[in-house]
Amino acid sequence: MAKKDEIVQKLRTMLPEDAVSADEAYKAGVVFSVRVPLAKLRDAASAFNEAGFYLESITGLDFKDTAELVYHFNCYEPKSRIAVRVLCGHDQTPKTLVDIFASAEWQEREVRDFFGIRFADNPDMRPLLLPEDADYHPLQKTFGIVHAYHTREEIYG
Amino acid sequence: MAEQFQEPVVEQIYTLNLGPQHPSTHGVLRVLLDLDGEFIVKADPVVGYGHRGHEKMGENRLYKQFIPNNSRVDYLSGMIYNHGFCLAVEKLAGIQVPERAKYIRVICSELNRISSHLLWFGTYVMDLGGFTPFLYAFDDREQILDILDRVSGSRLTYSYCRFGGVTKDVDWQFLDMTASFVKRLRSRWPDYHNLVTKNVIFIHRTRDVGVVTPELARQYGVTGPNLRACGIPFDTRKSEPYEVYDRFDFKVPVGSKGDALDRYNVRVEEMEQSCRIIEQALDQLPKGDFINGDAPFKVKPPKGEVYFAFESARGQTAYYLVSDGSGYAYRCHIRVPSFGNLHVLTEVLKGTLVADAISILGSIDVVIPEIDR
Repeated sequence: MAKKDEIVQKLRTMLPEDAVSADEAYKAGVVFSVRVPLAKLRDAASAFNEAGFYLESITGLDFKDTAELVYHFNCYEPKSRIAVRVLCGHDQTPKTLVDIFASAEWQEREVRDFFGIRFADNPDMRPLLLPEDADYHPLQKTFGIVHAYHTREEIYG
Repeated sequence: MAEQFQEPVVEQIYTLNLGPQHPSTHGVLRVLLDLDGEFIVKADPVVGYGHRGHEKMGENRLYKQFIPNNSRVDYLSGMIYNHGFCLAVEKLAGIQVPERAKYIRVICSELNRISSHLLWFGTYVMDLGGFTPFLYAFDDREQILDILDRVSGSRLTYSYCRFGGVTKDVDWQFLDMTASFVKRLRSRWPDYHNLVTKNVIFIHRTRDVGVVTPELARQYGVTGPNLRACGIPFDTRKSEPYEVYDRFDFKVPVGSKGDALDRYNVRVEEMEQSCRIIEQALDQLPKGDFINGDAPFKVKPPKGEVYFAFESARGQTAYYLVSDGSGYAYRCHIRVPSFGNLHVLTEVLKGTLVADAISILGSIDVVIPEIDR
């Protein structure tokens, strides 16, 4: 059994029915997209770690009503990328994944730089790409020139 | 009184600031090294000196206006990034590409990959003290720059691909030059191997140095030649074939130990495999249009998102684009391979000698502006 099917089976038992959506045509570049509540993020990441996946990228999206974290996991098999989407309110602090995936440390620092989302328990939250004394978060839709500021509904609705 | 006497704890940790202007840090990388004598106790790479805000610019420019930015993210594989961005937008907007354009893009991308590896080859050997191979590599690289200059009008920041094709068709002279370049590079391999691969000093400086184990690579998200050097045959061109890569017969070279010597061997072998791809593409190059004339002038992809991964010279790269239906991307994230490749150094450098640090840093082949974006 391919690793991607293994992990999806596991996630289906862990999460509500409609959390996993498949994309057989690979239209968005991921084979499965999984909506995970903030509280279950670390459990999901541990499952990915045990299944032999690596953390490819962490990035954020800024909406009017909420922020969203998108984690991309991949393994060394053809077309196995899985996206984990976590809604994270503007005032919420997600838990860090540093102790599960070492690569999360820098990526979380980058998300903190760009979106101002603090990760709880990350041992090193210094700015990574921005100057050390930066108190702004350039990819927030309230900074600099912005062409559109939507609610999440308007794009994914 | 004697029992109250305690041995004074002597702190002999010495902090050395390597870079950001050191020639062997390739760009503006600064590494804070905590040293115990000659041994590294802790390495803390400091990046961000070259941060230009490409992701913010991606949200502030029309898709077409963002094309020149791509070549400046990783300036050594500008063509490949350019190619990848166009593919991502084409996938999002559903733009068709003529067959001929696909082949031209692949030929140019593979030429770019060879030129990037040649530059790495030259500078890496120079870091280790050999000056002559550097001149050989740059001599060969110059040929590629001339070829790409011919079609794109630029030597480094190409901006050659457009949504739906390429800016300009290739002529018979381009095909001639490319074919003879491949022949010429092949005739140079014996020189390269005699100068470097079989060189005793080189082997001693690289064998068993900076070992990246497969588990460490997975933990830090290492991709590209650095991952393949530790024995995992993972290449985006094979695992999610894009463009016409599934039509070519090429191998994914792998190493066994994951040390600096393996990384060297994998890259040199990869250049040969790129030559094979170019040869096959030249043979199969169809006639026809070089750009889709029906491609929209102003690209407005439908609402949705795409995560498009491709293989740059340094590893798996990806564009993550979210569209809100307008001409501007709502989010433009770039997953860069050097990010993980450099981060793993914090672990690899521990317990090695300072002299080896230079060798490891060179062998991992990072482009810092790519991390800084």
